[in-house]
Amino acid sequence: MTDTAQLIQTSLAAAKRAANPQAMLDLIPYSIFIGAQAKIENDEVSYWLERRSSNIGNPSLPAIHGGVIGGFLELSASIEILYELDVNLIPKVVDFSLDYLRPGRYKTIYANCTVLRQGSKLVNVTATAWQDDIGRPIATARCHFLLT
Amino acid sequence: MNLRRAIYKPMLKLAMERTGHGAALGFEVTKVRRGEVEMTFPYKPEVIGNPITGVIHGGVIVSLLDTCCGTAAMTMLDRPAVTPTMDLRLDYMHPAEPYEPVYVSAKVYRNTSNVLFCRGSAWQDDPDNPIAHCVATFMKLDSPNISVASALRRRLRRLVRGVGTKNKEVSR
Repeated sequence: MTDTAQLIQTSLAAAKRAANPQAMLDLIPYSIFIGAQAKIENDEVSYWLERRSSNIGNPSLPAIHGGVIGGFLELSASIEILYELDVNLIPKVVDFSLDYLRPGRYKTIYANCTVLRQGSKLVNVTATAWQDDIGRPIATARCHFLLT
Repeated sequence: MNLRRAIYKPMLKLAMERTGHGAALGFEVTKVRRGEVEMTFPYKPEVIGNPITGVIHGGVIVSLLDTCCGTAAMTMLDRPAVTPTMDLRLDYMHPAEPYEPVYVSAKVYRNTSNVLFCRGSAWQDDPDNPIAHCVATFMKLDSPNISVASALRRRLRRLVRGVGTKNKEVSR
């Protein structure tokens, strides 16, 4: 194992022990690029993405880019695996399916994730994103990750 | 080819490359034809998803394919409308090679009165060995705000004012 790999895994394990999912996100450059954030709330990880101009997809509405919503949900799902399961490798995404339910307005997006099944190799996670009202989601995603 | 369509294509290219998340990612739209779009994304360390291997995050592939398919969908419109994504399904065949550019292409394979069906793929050295493949569906919704004329006016205004005003335009 290389030094970088060792360093990252030590940092991931430390973040988990400290119940600090934000520290996990901070290790991933893409997370900083879109501005994803996470904290523990009622023993669950909640994720959010504050609005920023570099995440806009349609400037005339303006609306958040659909790809950013997808990327944010995929990122949240992988952090959920790292945080909730006994896993210390960054999981590999195999497939990702996203339904856009409402336009993502130019404001904070919240998300939560649920691990539906964990096998020895494969994990199935769903992620839901909303803005004003948890009962009115803007997108739902489900993804499979490989743990090998 | 009529004049409106001749203006529309370079305008789409500019709109995708120069605004919001497209500008932040920094891809280039290399081909725009009716129902067919191609893009190139140069490697960028800011979007790494795995800090151990340096592989870019899957979310970047989602953004690239969503943009590419969405642009392809827009090229099919005969009247001003918006094409929000209904759903997007992505299969990751193998991880991207770090430090190498990613090529993305999308095609509209079915155009109905309300829904556009697209498929897209992302590859690096061999188009027949893609890193990811996707299918996406788009709605056709009429929108009075998004006419070619008003978009063109915004574009012209920005060109006259120069590049420095780009961020102001976005935050307005």
